[in-house]
Parts: sequence; structure tokens; C-alpha cells
Amino acid sequence: MFLRLRLPLLLTLLAGLIPIIAFFFKDDATFIKKPNSWLEQDMVIVSGFALLLGVVNVVQSNVRKIERREKGWLFAAVLLFGMFFMGIFGAAGAMRLGGLPGIGNYPNGTPTPFAWGSVYMFTPLQSTMFALLAFYIASAAFRAFRVRNLEATILLVAAVFVMLGRIPVGEGAFGSVTEWMMQVPNGAAQRGIIIGAALGAASLSLRVILGIERSYLGLEKSE
Amino acid sequence: MSTALAKLTTIDRRWIFLLIGLGTLIPILIPIGFPVTITPPVQSIYDKIETLGENDVVVLSYDYGPTTAAENEPMADAIIRHCFLRKVKVVALALYPLGGLTAVNGSVTRVSAEFPGLQYGVDYVNLGYKDGGQASMKLLAEDFSKAFPGDTNGTPLSTLPLMQKVTGARNAQLAVSIATGVIGEWWANLINAQYGLPVAVGCTAVSAPKYYAYLEAGQMLGLIGGLKGASEYEQLLLNGYPQTKTIYSNPMLQTASKGMDVQTIDHLIIIGFIVLGNIAYFAGRRAKQA
Repeated sequence: MFLRLRLPLLLTLLAGLIPIIAFFFKDDATFIKKPNSWLEQDMVIVSGFALLLGVVNVVQSNVRKIERREKGWLFAAVLLFGMFFMGIFGAAGAMRLGGLPGIGNYPNGTPTPFAWGSVYMFTPLQSTMFALLAFYIASAAFRAFRVRNLEATILLVAAVFVMLGRIPVGEGAFGSVTEWMMQVPNGAAQRGIIIGAALGAASLSLRVILGIERSYLGLEKSE
Repeated sequence: MSTALAKLTTIDRRWIFLLIGLGTLIPILIPIGFPVTITPPVQSIYDKIETLGENDVVVLSYDYGPTTAAENEPMADAIIRHCFLRKVKVVALALYPLGGLTAVNGSVTRVSAEFPGLQYGVDYVNLGYKDGGQASMKLLAEDFSKAFPGDTNGTPLSTLPLMQKVTGARNAQLAVSIATGVIGEWWANLINAQYGLPVAVGCTAVSAPKYYAYLEAGQMLGLIGGLKGASEYEQLLLNGYPQTKTIYSNPMLQTASKGMDVQTIDHLIIIGFIVLGNIAYFAGRRAKQA
């Protein structure tokens, strides 16, 4: 019970409270600043493990897909190849193994395998995927932006004003209206969303720190 | 007539794709050069950097990847170019996992080549990429070496003269995050709110609306929103530093000003289709009633 329940709860309490308390002290308060700094460094390491967890998950699900020859299994194979190619050469470059000077270019300007994959494969593929959005947005705007009711009309008018206000031919007439829309109605709505989400995150964090929310421990109901 | 107009709603979407394709391709091949008007959120970033000198340090965070490089890259290049023109020291880094490293390495290499008089390690440093998001950001605010033991080439920070001068981001005079997604927000609510460091953000047009809340609250001193904002910054540089004309007139250089030609034509095409879609919608309703 101590290892499965009380110790994790105690660690969570400390990991949650220390940064909060440290926030209210100046740099010379080493009694709290030092453990806080240690926790922050530790968090970077933990996030590295989260990345590893993601890799394991991708491997498991895609290997299963290839084994069962599910629809699109060839794409899964390409995905795994890409992940291991970049992962192996990236790690080897970072550790300067096999004569690699890093993950950038060799001194003569020739790209390392990681840099080659990044510049000539990853970058154009990602750019292409995002660029395709322009075509689909145009098609979706044609079909979806209709003066059906009041809400749809407001949305349509706002969208057209912002689109015109953000281009040279329209900013003379619509620029100030667009800026006002961004600052006042949009600013007010965004602020409400941000404050609401922050309050929600703070209350959930408090529940976790105080041990009220325990689902992350993966305990049975009887425990 | 109404029936004929109503048929427009079933138009093959490949016609829309073709028009958008042409609207993108033609202005790239034949630049139009629309005039640019400067907005206050962009002007305030430019004005802030104008107040800085060679003893000041700007932290420039490349928090974007290839997906949004068309929008983010011109603004990142313009900011670092402005700093180099004023001999302001630059600490460049990346916190975005999907291509942030490529972005920072590319931009620093590209723009520093325009200033052969500047010395790496003395006038600017490229720290490379660090995983860990907010945790890394908190660490580098206190002490760069805690998050980045070495620069992007693995050189220990203790051997770089600039890093002796500025131990943490909080000792800098300005932080600029060129961001896609949420990382720009972290700079505002972690670095500005907790350390009081002035923060400016350059973001994609689609994420600009949420940043207005921080801008209006004074948590950010300025905002470069999308390609439009980037083109405004380029125009400010051209007005303030006429020598940049040779850089920006390079036909091979991807600039926001050229991108604005494409954005203008494509926005007009989209608006045209929205109008056409509504005419067809009402014509269809009238035909049904008839």
C-alpha cells in the first residue's frame, strides 16, 4: 500500500508544491530554489521518456498492421523505415558516432544522413501536406459559408472582412474594422476561453496535488 | 435563370482547385508587388529592436516547423536580420520538435552569411533544439547552460564569450518567439509573466486571434500575424535600412512581400466563390419555391 499509494501521492504532492512555493521566493532562497531547479531539470528527462513511450506505441501498432497485412500496411512500413532512419542517424549524429560531425552538415557542406532526410524528405513532405489545405479551404468555404441564419451570417461577414482586411487591396477599407474585430470581440472571447481553461487546469492540478484525483495511479476501486 | 444558377452548387471542386492553383502559381512567376500598410502590433516590435544596441541581447526562439515555414520563415529572417543590422547580440534556439532544429540552423546560417563581419560565439550563438517544452523554457530563463549544455555543434557554452555575458534568458532585453501552435503562449505566460522579460511573438495567421488576448493584456509587446505581419516587417526594414533592398530584391529569396501577392489573389478567389456559392444557394431556394 505504501509503494503503490502513499509514496506516489507524497511524490506528487512534493513535485506539485515545490514549484508553487518557489515562485514566491527570491533567488537567494536556496532551500526551495535548488530542489525546484532539480525538479525542472528532471522534467526535461521525464519528457524524453514520454517521447520514448510514443516511439514504442508507434512501433507496436504499425508492426501489428504489417503482420496482419491490414489495409495500408505498406504505409506503415514506410513510416517505420522513416522513423528508424531518422532516429538512428539522429542519435548517432548527436553522439558523434561513426565519424558523423553532428546532425547538420559535414565541414565541406555535404549533408549528414539526418540533415539530408530532414531537408530533402521531411521538410518538403510537411510543406506539401500543409499547402494542400489552401485548396480544401477554398472548396469548403464555397460549400459551407451560406447566409442560412443569423449566426452563419455573422460568421460569413466576419470572415470576409478579415480576409479583405488582411490583403493590400482591402486593408484601406477594411483594415481598421479587422483590427477592431481582432482586438475587441475576438480579444474578449479569447480571454474568456484562456481564463476558463486556466482555471480548469488549476483546479485539476490542485485535485492531483492534494491526492483527490487518483486515476493516474491506475489503482483498482478497492485499493 | 434561377435553376441555372442553382446548378452552380454542384460545380466540380476541381475547378476551384484549378483556380486556386493558378492564383498561387501566376503571382509567384509574375510578382505584382502590392503596397504594404504597417499595423501597430508589428511597428512596436520594430521600434523595440530600434532601441537596442550592441550591448543588448535578443533571445530568438524558432518554434515552428516546415508546415508553417512559408509564413514563419520570412518573419524569423527579418527579425534576426534587424538584430544583425543593429549589431544586437542574438541567442537563437528552437523548442518545436517537428523541424525546429532545421528552422533555426537554416535561418541563422542564411542570414549570418549576409553579415561576414559578425563573429559566431561573440555576436550570435545557435543553441539548437531542446525537448521538454515548458520545463526547458523555465530552465533556460534561469540559466541557458542548464537546458543547453552545448550549442548546436556541441561546443560547451562556457567557451562562448556571448554566453558568459548572458547567463539566462531573463538577462536578455527581449525574447521573440516565431511560433506555430502553443509555444508562443508559453513565452508570454511563463517568461513575461514570471521574469518580466519583454516578449514578442510572430505567429501564423490562423493562430493570431488567440495572441490578441495576450497583446491587449500587455503580456506581449508586439505581434507579427501571418504573412501580412511578416511583409510589414520586411517593409519596415526596407524603409529603415535601404541596404536591405539588395537582399529583398533577390529573385531566389522567399519573402513575405512576394507571398502577399499570392495571398491577395487567393483571398479574392475564395471571396468570389463565397459570393457565388450564396447566389447559387438563394437561386436554388427560389427555384424550389417556384
